[in-house]
Amino acid sequence: MAVPAEYYLVLSAGLFCVGLFGILTRRNALIFLMSVELMLNAANINLVAFSFQWGNLTGQVFSLFTMALAAAEVAVGIGIILVLYRNFEDLDVTKATTMRW
Amino acid sequence: MAGETFTAYALVPAIAALPFAAFLVSLLFGRYMPKGGALAGIFAMGGSLAISIATLLTVAGILPGDPAYHETIWQFATGIDTFDLHLGVYIDPLSALMLVIVSLISFLVFVFSLGYMNDEGETGLARYYASLSLFSFSMLAFVFADNILMAFMFFELVGLCSFLLIGFWFREDAPPSAAKKAFLVTRFGDFFFLIGVVGIFATFGTGLFANVTRDGSTVQSFPALAEQMMNGQTPAMASDMLDIVGMSPQAWITVLGLLVLGGVVGKSAQFPLHTWLPDAMEGPTPVSALIHAATMVAAGVYLVARMYGFYALSPTALAIIALTGGFTALFAASMGVVKQEIKQVLAYSTISQYGYIMLALGSGGYVAGVFHLTTHAVFKALLFLGAGSVIIAMHHNENMWDMGGLKDKMPVTYYAFLSGSLALAGIVPFSGFWSKDEVLFEALIHGAGGNPLFLVAWAMGLLAVFFTGFYTFRMVLLTFHGEPRTETAEDPHGVRWNVKFPLAVLGILAATVGFINMAPIAKLTNLHIDFLHTWLGGSELVAEEFGTGLHHYEVLLEEVAGVSAAYPIGGEVTTMLASAAVSLGLALAGAGLAWSLYSGPEPVEHTNKLGGVKTLLMHNYYQDEYQVWLARDVTLPLSRAADRFDQGIIDGIVNGVSSVSLLSGDRVRRIQTGVVSNYAALLTLGLTILLVVFGLVGGWF
Repeated sequence: MAVPAEYYLVLSAGLFCVGLFGILTRRNALIFLMSVELMLNAANINLVAFSFQWGNLTGQVFSLFTMALAAAEVAVGIGIILVLYRNFEDLDVTKATTMRW
Repeated sequence: MAGETFTAYALVPAIAALPFAAFLVSLLFGRYMPKGGALAGIFAMGGSLAISIATLLTVAGILPGDPAYHETIWQFATGIDTFDLHLGVYIDPLSALMLVIVSLISFLVFVFSLGYMNDEGETGLARYYASLSLFSFSMLAFVFADNILMAFMFFELVGLCSFLLIGFWFREDAPPSAAKKAFLVTRFGDFFFLIGVVGIFATFGTGLFANVTRDGSTVQSFPALAEQMMNGQTPAMASDMLDIVGMSPQAWITVLGLLVLGGVVGKSAQFPLHTWLPDAMEGPTPVSALIHAATMVAAGVYLVARMYGFYALSPTALAIIALTGGFTALFAASMGVVKQEIKQVLAYSTISQYGYIMLALGSGGYVAGVFHLTTHAVFKALLFLGAGSVIIAMHHNENMWDMGGLKDKMPVTYYAFLSGSLALAGIVPFSGFWSKDEVLFEALIHGAGGNPLFLVAWAMGLLAVFFTGFYTFRMVLLTFHGEPRTETAEDPHGVRWNVKFPLAVLGILAATVGFINMAPIAKLTNLHIDFLHTWLGGSELVAEEFGTGLHHYEVLLEEVAGVSAAYPIGGEVTTMLASAAVSLGLALAGAGLAWSLYSGPEPVEHTNKLGGVKTLLMHNYYQDEYQVWLARDVTLPLSRAADRFDQGIIDGIVNGVSSVSLLSGDRVRRIQTGVVSNYAALLTLGLTILLVVFGLVGGWF
């Protein structure tokens, strides 16, 4: 008794919108990072769902890669956030606007 | 090469390579070496001289080997479906003779420099000897060049070296300016030469001076191809070129010849590009000897002799060469009459003597031209080294009015200088007589044979003989005879063996080198003692295969250029004797006039008797002034206008265009807020809009 693929897609779309909402409305850089993770995981759900749908393992393997990538991205992101904090003594992304022109 | 017998030709590249090695050694280590690197140069030139003589003997058939030789040394550009560019060696009687002259004079100049530079405690000796070695290297490589591009490259190097050496004393005011002038004036001529070289390659697809065999097939030289063109068998490449320029073969050959002649006129200091040469006297005197006798100035006329098969096809080019030569001979000789500095007199005599060589080559006297080139190289080197010796003695005062009475104090210099002067004035039996006489004889008979222009050039050359005799003996009398006119002249500085040795060698040669081609005596006695004539005639190999033999040129001159001989006074012998008598008489008259005016213990200046002419001559016919006028009042305003056009209109348009993008860029960048959330919102918005547009277009809804 398999769950239909649409359900997964709805879940994934919902998760993606939560991440997007976080990026568009919040100002804290750490929340930004978490929101990005949410959006990546929404994509992962899609990969796994379609892989399941077609009985092909490639999508699942890809989602493993995505996780590794996400881990690396977090490492870099945390580094950027640390520097951001040192320079502006704040995590508010709207304040770090000194390099625009 | 294995299996072949070893000949002197295998060593020919070393003739140039040795001075080049000496250049590197002097440049890098000269300051740590004894004598400032002079010894490296002397040994290198000694080696070059030995190989050159061996080459000469091989060409003459005394040493084993062919009488001519060609070798490609390095092909540096290989054309696909077009010509190749290469460096090569070509040895025939002409280049073998010139190699010996150049290496001999260079060797003696190196030795003399020991006395002139080292003993006088000059600084910068390493630089001096390095430049001198590079100079010899360039000239020697120029002489054995087998194609016109290689000749052009070394022609330019010769110019560079003369620039370095004329401006050797760069801390003073005059030498750097003279060096710049020499460089610029000769470069002006070389510009035409370069166009000529490109034209020759574009027309004939080769720059070879002689027909050579490469990879089993014969590659024809550009003079040979030009000859075919005149005979109606135009090669495809050449006929394309003729269609482009829209000229007849003869006219196009004339144009190419005249373009190359531009370089010759600049280097050989012919009117109107002669003005650099008198100023070049600012360089050290041994350098003047080298420039005037063997290298820089000789390069120009040598080039004409080298590609004589090409000029022989164009009567117009020949007439222009002859007229330029005749006019320059007279024009420069007249200026030499009033000069006060010994080196200035010699400078103008050089210009004048090269005028004779051009006159000979232009009027179909190939042998006479090469002969005068040979004798002039010897006696002019001698005169300059003699003048150098006098200048050492006079503590670097060059004014002849401060000299006098040096005859008894420096006998070696005096007798050597006298030998050179007799040769320069053309007094029998010194070398200059034989060659100058032959030059005038050739111009006369070819002029009488239906070329009135040659007769005009001949008349100017003949008149110049009188002036030459006059200024030569004025110089000798003022310098060596009479009573000493200053304290320095009473007690001159002594000179050593390294000055006397080159003078002695050249003094003997100046008296005797004319015996290689005593044409009048050969004609009178029917003995075959006109050796140079036979020599340049060359072997069958040179004449038939390489196509640079004298007899080939004679046929061309007669058949294509219409240069033929006629004997206006009786037969050939009487004409020859009459011509010799007239030129000798004029030379003696000039010398006699100098004697009557300037002999005696206390000679006085007579130049004021010339009145307004004196001013004209002293100012060199205002040649410098008019060239400065050309540069400053014609060229400079023109280039200013061009500059204004460039700066104002061209740059204005470019700046206008860029200011538009600058301004718009400045406005547009304001949309960058630097707030990450805004970028994210725009990204999302953009994606959404894209999706909606795709949806509408794709009909999803």
